[in-house]
This record gives sequence, structure tokens and C-alpha cells, in this order.
Amino acid sequence: MATLGQRRATIVAMEENTLAILDSAEAKDTQDANDDRIAYLNAVRLASILADSPSPPTNKMAEAVFQILRVGKSLESIMESFRLLNELENCYPPAYVSNMDTSGSPILVVVEEAWSPFGFGSDVARSGKEPAAEIPLGPIDASGFHLLIQGLVEVADEANFQALDLKAIRRMLLFQYIVNALKGDFVPRNCVYKDTMNWNLLRESLLNMLLGSRRIIYKNLMKDCLSIMCGFQISNNFECSENPEAASGDDTALAIAVLEARKSTCIAMQKLLTIIMELDMSKNKAEMQGCTTRADGVRTPLVEIILDELTYDQDMLSQFLQNHLQVFTEPKWKLEIILRYFSKYTAKPSVHTRRSNGCTDDVTFNGVLRRLMDSTSSRNIIKKISTEVVQLLVAHAFQAHLSRSCQNFDGINDSDEVKATPLTEICKNLVSAFRSLRRMDEKMDILPFAKEALFTAATILSPKS
Amino acid sequence: MDGPLDFEDEDALFSPPVVPKKRKKIIGLDDLLTDFYREKSKCLERESKREKAPQKDNSDDDEDDKEALVCKAVDECQKQMTELIGEEEISMWGIRLFGDQKTPPPLIFPELRSSLLLQSFMENELSTLVELPIETGEVFLESLLLNGWLSKLIISCGHLEKSIASWTFNMILYSSREELRASACDLWHLVLSSKAEVASVPIKIDWFPGYSELRRALETYGFLFSFSSTTESVDTNSACQKPSQNIKAWVEISAACCQARSKKPIFSTSEAEELVQFIICLFLDRQLMGLQLLFYECTQSVINYFTDEEWTISSKRIAKSLAFRVPMDLNCLRAVECISGVGPRSKGLRSAVAYEVLCNCLNCKAANEEEILSLLISINVKDRSCDLFKMYIYLVLTENWLMSTTLLEEKPVLYEMWSVYLRNCSCQITSTDMRSYAPKVRNKASYLLQGTIK
Repeated sequence: MATLGQRRATIVAMEENTLAILDSAEAKDTQDANDDRIAYLNAVRLASILADSPSPPTNKMAEAVFQILRVGKSLESIMESFRLLNELENCYPPAYVSNMDTSGSPILVVVEEAWSPFGFGSDVARSGKEPAAEIPLGPIDASGFHLLIQGLVEVADEANFQALDLKAIRRMLLFQYIVNALKGDFVPRNCVYKDTMNWNLLRESLLNMLLGSRRIIYKNLMKDCLSIMCGFQISNNFECSENPEAASGDDTALAIAVLEARKSTCIAMQKLLTIIMELDMSKNKAEMQGCTTRADGVRTPLVEIILDELTYDQDMLSQFLQNHLQVFTEPKWKLEIILRYFSKYTAKPSVHTRRSNGCTDDVTFNGVLRRLMDSTSSRNIIKKISTEVVQLLVAHAFQAHLSRSCQNFDGINDSDEVKATPLTEICKNLVSAFRSLRRMDEKMDILPFAKEALFTAATILSPKS
Repeated sequence: MDGPLDFEDEDALFSPPVVPKKRKKIIGLDDLLTDFYREKSKCLERESKREKAPQKDNSDDDEDDKEALVCKAVDECQKQMTELIGEEEISMWGIRLFGDQKTPPPLIFPELRSSLLLQSFMENELSTLVELPIETGEVFLESLLLNGWLSKLIISCGHLEKSIASWTFNMILYSSREELRASACDLWHLVLSSKAEVASVPIKIDWFPGYSELRRALETYGFLFSFSSTTESVDTNSACQKPSQNIKAWVEISAACCQARSKKPIFSTSEAEELVQFIICLFLDRQLMGLQLLFYECTQSVINYFTDEEWTISSKRIAKSLAFRVPMDLNCLRAVECISGVGPRSKGLRSAVAYEVLCNCLNCKAANEEEILSLLISINVKDRSCDLFKMYIYLVLTENWLMSTTLLEEKPVLYEMWSVYLRNCSCQITSTDMRSYAPKVRNKASYLLQGTIK
């Protein structure tokens, strides 16, 4: 058995030896330097993942891989470093749930010495200094993260999105990796939190530290995130017009890579928004139990921000309906957002307090459908929201409900309305709701998306042949 | 050529075992050294001349002429040198995998109109509310698919009928619309991955895709099933054929089919073996680099498709046929290095492929491990005619073959031989060696040598 000292010496030797591969590559953009970077990535992969007895990369080694992703000069080195970072994250998760506790309840294991791409060390609002235009190298802090998001807004807004650019790919992959890292840290913490109600676990999560940082303006950050989702979706829709100019192989390679990166960035953004909403929910629970302190600060839940945007900005609403609900396929939160939106217009006039708007126990999809079936209350709703919007919201809510019940078959779901109400009842009520809308307005056109919803409901109801 | 002199320390460290060899070949080494120094001084001369060149503008013409002469001479020397070495300085992996695309089959499915799904709805009283003309049934189904209703409907009803199954599958393979391909892929993925034992209604699937369809699609995309030499490799400026847009969906559906083995074994063992090879080949096309994450996932799915018994035989067969398929240049290294993943299967396959390619390179039949290593040791890297590019390939292949197995621990002989081989490569190539792959071989070997010290 090697002693601890010996092992440390071997690790140091391995680190120096591996990093030496990069020595001559130093920021050069030659084929040789590029080869060296690829060789380095392969060496790290072989030593830390594929070897017979792999050992995790040291912090310096991981940092160097991260650097290649951030300043990589070739598509190959960017793609390879991105893949390696994610593989390492999977192999050596910095936080995970363990069931080793004697009582049998899950405990959180945090690997303190694990390398992290983040550095939220000093959380002082940057004063005086001009905000940097580029994300500074080194660990990402909250302002760096916001810069990254703003960079993505640019990428998403790009009118000619086939302006092929390695920088755009770097940004998108960096973002995806960052989201993976945030999620990898948050999910086990939230899982143990649900079991133990120990808010400290989540308070120390990277996501909570990031969102609570005074270096960023949280609401702007969230709005930027929403606009990225819209932007990507719009341009992804009219893609595929073959680009005849991209004649050379390298351009084709870049074009294919950009397209793919945009798709996966959209998915990553959805993941980010979902974990933020999960965090909000847990925080709300902790607040109600009085576990939070003033130091935790007040942060508007993301769902509220989305709803505000929808209420005050009609353009946003139609955009949201057309794009977000299409993009945002995570059914649980999709349903939640729609139900909250309805509840704004259907809830009994009651005193609205910050604490109380977190619970939507009284609003269920079936409840909304019942209100629409009733002619007086549905007339009230139509007055406030147009029939078109109602149709779309109901159809989308139905889709989310269906997805959840499909997931239910796979046993992923936890208990809630989806289990409580049989699908056939929902389908019946959906049809009746549309009939009642039709009764109120004979000339009402049923929108194509709503037709599809009705078709689906009718087919589910029809007796099996 | 490259700056760091760290390696001199290693040379000192490892000189003892090499001493006897040095003694034997002492004359040859000296000759080589003088050769190298001669060449090096020529190079230095040329470089210094070049540096001076801009300043020369306003000086004597005589000097210019002289310089031009010398430069010409040096250039010629340089040319001869590269010819001697026979290597291009810059070589990259990359193969053109796709040739001319064929016309895809027409995507017309008249039988869709008579599908149960549409028919049963027509009898429904609701059809008056939705006003769905049967003529536009196909268009309507398309938007059901696009908006994600169709998959939910199929799972909720527990039935995927034949017409819809083959229609969506053909969309994946041949549709020119990305959203349609993606939605159809999602549908198949959901249907194939939903677990029958948990579902209240197990999904009845009337029609399964088969390997022949997948293979035919590859043919339509213009996939070159046998690509031979490096002559067709990366030629970035020629008007090259673009790979089909459908390749992404093709890879995704292949992966989904593999994941559904518990439902139905869609591929036979030999078909799955071929599939692994095709997907590994896809890594070799530089144009598809942006999709490599998908390829990795797909490789994993196909590798895990095999049962344990099948895998022991199949992995060897895959390795053997891949070794024949890939060209023996940087492409074979790329092929080996793209097989990654944590599981024992991918580690094993990586090692096996590296071993088979190495056997092919060395042209030895029925060799055992020791024979291969002794063959490698017997190569004299100091010999000018020794192809260091090939040495580099051997070295990386050997590394990949040995490092992800327990071979080195099980067989001390192999471990010893591996160390000797590494020492040969790192100590016998000097840092002044001008051959193009000299620093690469030397650095790689000394890096690995450091790793072997325990």
C-alpha cells in the first residue's frame, strides 16, 4: 500500500507530466498546438476515465480542460473539451446522494476538494469598475454568468444566424456545461432537502448562491433567459434553408455544429429554468417553515416573473403562447404556469399577500375546465382573456397534463392531480369546455392547435376497436 | 525544434539500461548526430538569412544575389529532407464518408387516410366541432405529429398502428424538414422506451423498423460503405458533397431501436455489429464533428444492445472488421479514440480495436501480445529510414490497447517490454531530431514513461 505522501507525490507527478503536454501549445493557433491540446484531452480522459484504475484529474488539470473549452481555437478542441468536462462531471460528481446513513435516510455527500468551474468567493457588488465586456478567464462568478447569458442573447438575436462563428459555439457549449454543473450540484441537494427539510443544503447550493449574488440584477438575468428561449425557437423554426455558400468542408462542419448547439442550448435553458423553479418552490417551503433568515434575501419566484411579463406585455403573451409553450415542454412547470395564469383571473377576490401566492392547491386543471363549462364563470373569463388565448392555454395545459400522465405510466411521477383525476374525465371535460365556449360564441373559430387537442381527447375517449 | 529541455533529465535517468545498445551502435549514432547537426546548421543559416532579409532592401545587390543563391540551395536541401522523410508536416484525420446522394423514396402515404386513428374520429360526433375534412387527413396528422400530440395519443391509447408507424419512420429517414424528423424521432423514442410493465395499457406496436431500412437509408444518403485510401481524405477546398441532413435523425432512431431490446430485438447480432462499425465511421467525417456527442450516445446504446454472451464474441468481430475498414493513418487513431465511455464494454472495445489495428499495421498474423511488443522494440528509431509517423501511430495504438486493460498488471513481461519500448522511443530520439514526427513520438513516449514509474 502506498502511503498518503507517496500517493500525493504520484498525483503531483502525474499533474506536471500531463500539463507538460500543453506547455508548447500556450495560446498558439497552429496545427501543432491544436494537436497538443487534443493530446492533452485524450491523456486526461485516459488517466481519469478509461484507465484500468482511474483517478480524478487534479484541479489544475481540470482547469486546463476548462480553458480549452473557453479559448479553443478549433471546433475539434472545443467539442472534445466540452465532452470531457461533462464526462468528468458524471464520473466524479461534486455532490451526490448516499444511502449509507445508519437510519436509512439519504444523506448528501459533498466532495469539498472537487474542482468547480464557479467561484462565488467574494460577493461584493462591483463598484466603480466598468463591467467587463468579456467573461474574465478563471472561475465563473455571478457577473461572469450574466455576461455569458448576455452573450447568448446576442447569439439568439443574430439575424443571420448562419453567421458561422466559433465564438458562438464556445458560448453555447460553455453555457450548457455550466447548466450541467449547476444541475449536478442542485439536484442531489434538493432531493435530500425534500427528505430532511434542511434549508442549509440548498442555501449553499451553487444555484442559490448564483441567483442571490449582489453582483447581478436577478430580474434582468431572468428576462434575458426568457428572451433567449424565444429567440432560439424562432430562428430554429426557419432554419434548414440549405446554405449554398457554405461550400468548404470546414464551413459545413461549423454550420452543422452551430445548428446542433443551438438546439441543445435551448434544451439546456429549459433545464436551467426548471431547476430555478424547483429551487423557488423549496425556498418557499423553507420560508413558510421559518427556516430562512434575512440573509437569504427576497427573490421573486421565476414563475411570478413569467406571469408578470405575460400580464403586462400582450406581445409577450402571444410570443409566449406561440413560442414558449412550444419550447417549454417540461410538463410540470408548463401546467403550473398556465394554471397560475388562469387563477389570476378566476380566483375569488382575496387579499393577495406574498406568502400566499405560492400555493395553488385550489387550482387544478380539472377545476379550470369546470369553470369553463359553467356559462357564467366562463363568460367572466372570456371578458378578461380573449377566446383565442383561452383556447391555446387550455390546449397547452391539456398537452402538459397528457405528458404527465404518460410519464405516470413509467412510474416517474409523484402523487398529484394527474393521479387523482382519471384521464377520461379530463378529456370529457375538455370537450364540454369547448362546447360551452362555442355556445357562447357561435362564430368562434376553433384554432388549429385546439382542434388537435380536441381530436386527441375524442380519440382517447372513443371505444377501443 | 521545441524548447523544453526537461527531457534531458529523463535521458539521464534512463540512460543505464540503454547503455549497452549505445555501445553497439556507437558509430551509427555519431554519423547520425553529425548529419543532424549539419542539417540543423543549414536550417539556422537559412533562418538567420531570412530574418535579415527585410533589412537588406537598401544594401548591395551582390549580397542579395548571393543570398538568393544560398536560399535556393537551402530550400532544395529542405525539399530533399522532406522527401527523405516522406511526410507532410500537417496531416489531419478525416475521411469523406458521403458521396452522391440518391433520390429518396417519395413520402406519400395514401393508406394514412384509412388509418384507424382518422377513421374512428370521423365516426365521432365531435367531428362536426373540429370540422376535419378527410382529404386533408395527412396534413392534419402531420401537424398532430409536429405539435407533439401524436406520441401522447399513441401512448394513452396504447396502440401504434402500421400505417402510422411506417409513415413516421420514413419521415425520420427521408423527410427534408427538420421539425418533422425531430418530432417523429421523439415519437419513436417515447413509444419504444415506455416501459410496458408499468403502463396500464401496454403499447401494441403493429410494425417495427428493421435493419434493412436503416441500411437502405444510408445508401440513399450516399454513404461510402468502403472507403479505401487516404487519397480522398480531407480536401477542404474541393466542392465536396455534404452529408445528408437526415443523418442526425438516422443516428437517433438507431439508438432508440437499440434501447428497445426488451420489447423486441430489432437487430440480429451481425446487424448490430455492423451498426457499431458504421457509427464509429461517422466519427471520421470532419463535417459531422458537431454531431459527435450524438454519435457517442448512439455508440453506447448499440454496445449495450448485445447480451453478455454475444458481446464477448461480437466485440472481437467488430474490432477485426473495423481494423480492416479504417485507413492506417491518423484516422485509425481517431477511430480508437472516439470509442469512449465509462463502462467495461467501451473500454474493452477500445482496447480490442487498438490491438487489431496494431496487428494490421504490423502485418503480423496470429501474433500474441509479447510478439507484437518485441516487434515494436526491434524497430530502430535512430535509423533515418524509420518512419516516425508510423511509430507515432504504433505508440498511440499500443497505449490505447494496454492502458484500459489489466494486461500490464497481469503480465509483468508485458510491462517490462512496454517500458523498454517507451524508453527506445523517448531516449533514442534526440531533441535535435528534425524528422517531422520526432518530437511527437518523443514527447508521447516520455509522457507515458513517466506514467509507468510506480
